[in-house]
Amino acid sequence: MTRRLTITAALLVLASAGAGCRGNKSAEPPIHPNWNMDDQSYFQGQEDNDWFPDHRAMRPPVAGAVAQGQLHDDDAYYRGRGADGRLVDGLPDGVELTQALLDRGHARFNIYCAPCHEKSGYGHGVIIQRGFAVPPPSYHEPRLQAMPLGYIFDVISHGKGTMRPYAVQVPVADRWAIAAWVRVLQVSQRATVADVPADVMTQLKASGGNP
Amino acid sequence: MAQIFPRWTNKIPLAIGVGTPIALCGVVFVVWYYFSPKFTDVGYQPEQPVPFSHKLHAGELGLDCRYCHNTVEVAAQAAIPPLGTCMNCHSQLNLGDREGRVQPVKDAFEGKSTLEWVRVHMLPDYAYFNHSVHVAAGVGCSTCHGRIDQMQVVAQAEPLSMSWCLDCHRNPEPNLRPRDQVTNMAWFETPASKEYNPAEDPTRTRAVSPPEHCSGCHR
Repeated sequence: MTRRLTITAALLVLASAGAGCRGNKSAEPPIHPNWNMDDQSYFQGQEDNDWFPDHRAMRPPVAGAVAQGQLHDDDAYYRGRGADGRLVDGLPDGVELTQALLDRGHARFNIYCAPCHEKSGYGHGVIIQRGFAVPPPSYHEPRLQAMPLGYIFDVISHGKGTMRPYAVQVPVADRWAIAAWVRVLQVSQRATVADVPADVMTQLKASGGNP
Repeated sequence: MAQIFPRWTNKIPLAIGVGTPIALCGVVFVVWYYFSPKFTDVGYQPEQPVPFSHKLHAGELGLDCRYCHNTVEVAAQAAIPPLGTCMNCHSQLNLGDREGRVQPVKDAFEGKSTLEWVRVHMLPDYAYFNHSVHVAAGVGCSTCHGRIDQMQVVAQAEPLSMSWCLDCHRNPEPNLRPRDQVTNMAWFETPASKEYNPAEDPTRTRAVSPPEHCSGCHR
């Protein structure tokens, strides 16, 4: 009787061991004992559909297709160019220069631009350190300091040299916010003592230079 | 007259009385332990067509999650990035002897082939989920996906079961963080996380109120 119990217990332990423990890594797809309607016959975003040769359920739009209400014919806003076709030097109508815009631009810049351009804009970001073939120019070169704001927007949208376009990753509103932040970075590197507001100056002097 | 039942049959009622509860307990244990998504789904680590390492890209290089998954704040899906996003850097990078690993991406970008990533986190099709509302509420990536920045190959870290969802929907506060820390994988290991109170966060205009009714998720 004891022997039989021992054998049964041993078999149970073996069976559990064979079935594995929770959290084990496995490359095999999960097996659900009860599939219910886990997988239904419709396609979610980025699912595969073997009916098409490239297996994509999401079909790319026909070249040149324009969705309703997305003609984007406001050149100043969507292309950074004025009526004369030249790059605008300022934010387009409808984009207000606010602290919120700069904060947004700051955050977005650090996500999408800083990997190469570095948070300060000097151009020694982590990707450059890892061997990106052509380092980007510093924003603080006189040539780029002199560029109109629309130029920054245009480069984000269409790329430049080895920089690929970021129009897919960064929506138009964020591109203007980033352009504004790049201008902030540029101004910050050529600021003088005279640029410090009087009240902040008083504070700085009182604290001995520690803000 | 001979006995119809041999003597050992006297033990049958006892065996049934003892054995049935044990067997039932065994069945309950097997269902509880092995039928749960904690067993069936956690740890799913499919082999991907490219040995892409989140540990390198998100961990060592420190790229923000949103650099690639840029739809996560505005859409239901945190989309797998288009090949162009990879090429932003890899068009100009030479990895030397490791360059072959990126070759499938480059071939696909040139239209020679397609790249079919294997989905890791699969919610049932009858459950509605939207990334953007969770991110807007200040639920961080690592809360549901684990420490992706430490995973060479991504594996599912949480069960994504209904009870697991409801645990947080019923008591979200412990899993909330400032909304600018959503992609910070190590947030809950920082001292600031111990003192954070969502109710006192000035950037939050209203308290989060996740749905607990059926049609919140089963629409």
